[in-house]
Amino acid sequence: MSEWWDKQIQRADYLAPRANGAKELLNFYAHLLRAQRDIYEFLRSRRGWLPSGELECDLPVLLDALPEFLKAIQSHGPESLAAEAHDLSETDTQVMTERLMMYWRNSSDIQFFEKALLQPYLRWVFCGGNPQVSFLKNKETTAESGNRDLICATCLSSWEFRRVVCANCGEERPAKLGYFHSPEFDHVRIEACETCKHYLKGVDLTRAGFAAPIVDEIDAAPLDLWAREHGYTKIELNLVGV
Amino acid sequence: MEVSRRTFIKTTLIGGAGVTVFGFSLAPVYAQTQGLKIARTTETRSTCPYCSVSCGVIIHTLGDKAKNVIPQVVHVEGDPDHPINRGTLCPKGASLQQDIVNERRLLKPQVRRPGATDWEDISWDNAIDEIARWTKKTRDATFIDKDKNGYTVNRLETIGWIGGCTDTNELNFLAVKSMRSLGVCYFETQARV
Repeated sequence: MSEWWDKQIQRADYLAPRANGAKELLNFYAHLLRAQRDIYEFLRSRRGWLPSGELECDLPVLLDALPEFLKAIQSHGPESLAAEAHDLSETDTQVMTERLMMYWRNSSDIQFFEKALLQPYLRWVFCGGNPQVSFLKNKETTAESGNRDLICATCLSSWEFRRVVCANCGEERPAKLGYFHSPEFDHVRIEACETCKHYLKGVDLTRAGFAAPIVDEIDAAPLDLWAREHGYTKIELNLVGV
Repeated sequence: MEVSRRTFIKTTLIGGAGVTVFGFSLAPVYAQTQGLKIARTTETRSTCPYCSVSCGVIIHTLGDKAKNVIPQVVHVEGDPDHPINRGTLCPKGASLQQDIVNERRLLKPQVRRPGATDWEDISWDNAIDEIARWTKKTRDATFIDKDKNGYTVNRLETIGWIGGCTDTNELNFLAVKSMRSLGVCYFETQARV
């Protein structure tokens, strides 16, 4: 599973110097992915310990990884995140425990530290959260079209989902579902719903098989601003807040 | 200040650039957004008309839904969620877009006269008149009302009908009614789906 993190990091490292508007976002995300991989490795390499799936029981172990994580955010995050990371590093771990438990019971996409810290832990768990991004990938060897999967914004697991359906409200009428493309992002598109006015981005791996959906989704941040300007709300913000 | 998701999005929109809820500057992202050329497509699930397998397809139509814009089919692909074909298509089905948008498509009737090697254009009125005249002449000359045993059969064996697999239900309905009323036996609509 470490390979999974490595693939995301390599993709972020590849895209960051080539990015136009999202350079700063990708640079930070590459550092964040490294910090998350370290948490994952820390949890995975503990002898005789496996996540129980009950956060309350697993928290003491997870919180052991907190100081290093906060250091990474202080070093590479934007001013506001770095300041919050600094404050958290000087606060009793009980505060973070309460924040994590609150997030666990009622998650929100504007709680950066909770989400970023839990993602590596949740690689062992399916959480049933909102989708971050969709991707198209061939599953039949003789098919040219891609099956659609969604990636969970919280636990990063993927699950199969039908193509012509809104991932937020289930709308199926073709006229209500808009797909917005731009030549600047050939393999990424906005998948928007006129009924609930929500959207998420889709990454087409049949066009760019080397792409990493959660990273390419950040690279295509200009599409998010375009969607917002046109009245759509993202189903779930990513870890750079776009 | 507690930043709610709604406040954040509102700030982003009003400020043009602004920052994300986690403090990242959106100015460079916004600058790139201004230069984007965005096109809207619609995906419509449908059924391939060519054969009785009835594969599912997804038709991609380009158009921003403005009333003065005619939607244009830009791509047809197999429907990966369809239980019959799971996204696969045969070569004919894979070329369906060319059945819909094709510069070689005939837009007017043509006729090839007996013995001629070339097709010539003919107006709709003349085409219908000629078809009616030849049909009546042929039917009057060759209609079989009774067979050799004296049974009433009302057959017309000298005219045949061949339909195309992309013909609509409505066209095939009219074809069946009109051809059967003439007594045509050699009749094929290619209706498979």
